[in-house]
Amino acid sequence: MNNKFSKAVIKRLISSLITLFLLISLLFILIRISPGNPAQKFISPELSPEIAQKVAEDFKLNDPLPEQYLSFIGNLIQGDLGISYNYRMPVTLVVWEFLSFTLVIAAISFLVQIIVSYYLAVYTIQKQNKNTDNLISSLSLIFYSTPAFVIGVLLIYLLAVQVDLFPTSGFTSLDYDSLNYFEKLLDKIHHLILPLITLSIAGIALFYRYLRDNLEDIYHQTFIVQLRANGLNENTILRKHVIPNAIGPFISVAGIELGILLGGTLITEVIFSLPGMGRLTIDSILTRDYPLIIGCTFAAGLLMILTNFIADLLKLKIDKRLLRGNVI
Amino acid sequence: MNISKPFLIVVLSIAVLFIHCDKKTTAGSNRVVIGISADVQTFNPLFAFSVDEGSITELLYLGLFDFCWDEETGDLKSYPMLAEEWEWAEDSSSIKIFLRDDVYWTDGKQLTTDDVILSFDLFSDPEVNSRLYGTFSSMYKDENNHIDIKKSFKDISEYELTITFPKNSKPTLNEMSIPILPSHIYGKIKRDELNTSETNFNPVSNGPFKFLRWSRNQNITLTANTKSFLYEPDNINELVFKIIPDYISRTLQLNKGEIDLMELVKTEDIEDMRKNQSLNIVSVVGREYDYIGWNNIDLELFNKENKIKPHKLFGNKNVRIALSHAINNQEILEEYLLNYGEIAVTPVSKIFKKYYNPKIKAYDYNIGKAKKLLAAEDWKDTNNNGILDKNNTEFRFTLYFPSGNPLRNYASTIIKNNLASIGIEMKIVNLEMGSFIDHLYEKKMDAWMAAWYIPIPVELKSYWYSDLEMTPLNFVSYQNKQADDIINELEQKISDKRKKDLYFKFQEIIHNDQPVTFLYWIPNITVYNKRIKNIHITPLGSITHCWEWKISD
Repeated sequence: MNNKFSKAVIKRLISSLITLFLLISLLFILIRISPGNPAQKFISPELSPEIAQKVAEDFKLNDPLPEQYLSFIGNLIQGDLGISYNYRMPVTLVVWEFLSFTLVIAAISFLVQIIVSYYLAVYTIQKQNKNTDNLISSLSLIFYSTPAFVIGVLLIYLLAVQVDLFPTSGFTSLDYDSLNYFEKLLDKIHHLILPLITLSIAGIALFYRYLRDNLEDIYHQTFIVQLRANGLNENTILRKHVIPNAIGPFISVAGIELGILLGGTLITEVIFSLPGMGRLTIDSILTRDYPLIIGCTFAAGLLMILTNFIADLLKLKIDKRLLRGNVI
Repeated sequence: MNISKPFLIVVLSIAVLFIHCDKKTTAGSNRVVIGISADVQTFNPLFAFSVDEGSITELLYLGLFDFCWDEETGDLKSYPMLAEEWEWAEDSSSIKIFLRDDVYWTDGKQLTTDDVILSFDLFSDPEVNSRLYGTFSSMYKDENNHIDIKKSFKDISEYELTITFPKNSKPTLNEMSIPILPSHIYGKIKRDELNTSETNFNPVSNGPFKFLRWSRNQNITLTANTKSFLYEPDNINELVFKIIPDYISRTLQLNKGEIDLMELVKTEDIEDMRKNQSLNIVSVVGREYDYIGWNNIDLELFNKENKIKPHKLFGNKNVRIALSHAINNQEILEEYLLNYGEIAVTPVSKIFKKYYNPKIKAYDYNIGKAKKLLAAEDWKDTNNNGILDKNNTEFRFTLYFPSGNPLRNYASTIIKNNLASIGIEMKIVNLEMGSFIDHLYEKKMDAWMAAWYIPIPVELKSYWYSDLEMTPLNFVSYQNKQADDIINELEQKISDKRKKDLYFKFQEIIHNDQPVTFLYWIPNITVYNKRIKNIHITPLGSITHCWEWKISD
């Protein structure tokens, strides 16, 4: 069993690396053949036309594409993603600076989504077809279909402008440096509540609906009827038989959602002025910061693969039957 | 009552947070918070390419001279800054500069002529790639456009130097007013490494403000430099640039008092802002205009063989005038810009009072005149399909514009309808900005709608000179010998009277040729909290000289 498991893991790792390599190679070529170039921002009546030419030379934009690609791959193997044209810093440093924030907010949001949706689904399955169940199901549909920017702006207007309970944007107060450690922590939590609600609400609705449907499916299967006929109480049936069977597919969806969250949460970042991967990626695309675009995609791709991989491992841990089919 | 533990924890946490709630606005402090849409990438004036980078570095690094906007003359007015006094040679072949002896860098070192000379050296060094590279047209330079320091500068003492200029050059104080950098810091860094140097983020400066902290993509805080000769204890002591990418969030924060000032407020929000008694609204018109570019030459021929032939649709000036008559820019100005802008007539803005020719009037919206002009050029609907034609060519084209601008979306629909009424079919295509700029440079578009942000002082050559190699920004490929002569003469030493005549004549030529249809001057609407006093918003910007601002709650 262990040998089979290790082989499957290695196979998955190799395929992940190939996927990642193909992803950034394709991206490298696509961004260079698409219109626009990084030297554009150096063209202005107030600047000398020579600047744009010199910048293009410095960025090696005039070199043939295969030459640029080979040099890029050579650097990549040494762990060098290049220097960001905008930030004038190594791409890895820039990405890490923004990724660290995204990792924190995505992880908290993910936990909130999982915990809230889990408890809601388990709660409503016990109250099937009652008013609470119907109400929560309808609300979940509304929240899932409402765009994040609407929720975000509404929350700001109600809770930050009208009621003045929360700050409208930012990650910290302007006086952050003068606060003590505890106050700093509270300050950050205070700033993150509205973004977290905005970020999590659609995910909660999605997970809730997914888990609720799974639970309902399992509840209606014949083995549950048999268990009930055997005299097991509802609580035991739910905890020992329904939930474990319903959780497998839910983990797959959760893995994908976490990957998406880690890739950046653009709308929330823009509305609440947060320094995350979403804004960094979009800015790098708009300004044609080629090394940074690759760096952001590399990080997002890597995290997506990693979260899916972890989700698969978790599924395997929960349901050993999957190993027989060599699923991962 | 049975209350679960998690519930209790959540309630307690929220209670603690509410107690902690920082409901502070900027009111009551001597700090001003300015909302900006994007973060800066450097605090080094050598590489301050964006508008915000320029504004912030100007507060950190002073130049030899400073300028303010003279409303009366509509021109820049110079006054001393790091240079306490200066003396021009009679023939303007040199200038003697006397530096102030009370200027200190924020690390305590004194500013001397070494700093001035090194700054010119760095800004013009091809290895550095500064934003001013290639612009020192009046100085002695080598073949790489690097200023010849030995020939140009002579330091007489620590606070006195002479700058010498080549014969027939036209030196101006404006050209010499570059930000001065600390030689004891920059002199030690390899030139090709300046771009990525740590000093870009940790500036040692000489200005009225000094760098305090930078929380990337959150805020930038500058604090008053108490050692600066510009320091006044009663003026603002802290300036924060808060980065808020979302426009709606910026307006909400301005209304709430979390920020004190924002620029580029949309006209549709003005009425709401007027209701807020704590806000002042200032609209400055005359730095940016929207236009429709008609490519004057045949693009295919030019791109393939580099030959010039008039464009089959827009190559004729009477056709272009007809198009200008057919476009109802007044309607767009009234309906969308709510009359906050002004109709644009020529590229010379009204703000340049000395040079603006008031006799030239915009082509009025007149369908009859437009049809008549087109008919005179043989554009007639011979096959009765509703579209004008000439020599088997139908008058249809595509108007391109960069996406993400609601004003242009609105305007393009009006223009499409306007032109349809005279028998011209126009298709509208939105392009992503990067792609749009590529299309401009590669001369791929027959017609487009875009804007020009005009420099101060007036600059014509970049946009309207016939040499298309020399002036890549002449996107419409406009060529007129008479206009070229004027532009060339304006580069010479001439009297003010002659200069004015030339500008007037140039505007007449452009108006008669209509290489583009000038639509309207876009307003820069700045809204700020009334607690800021002594603020002067001019065409130079909203925050220039903000060290003079005072706070009164």
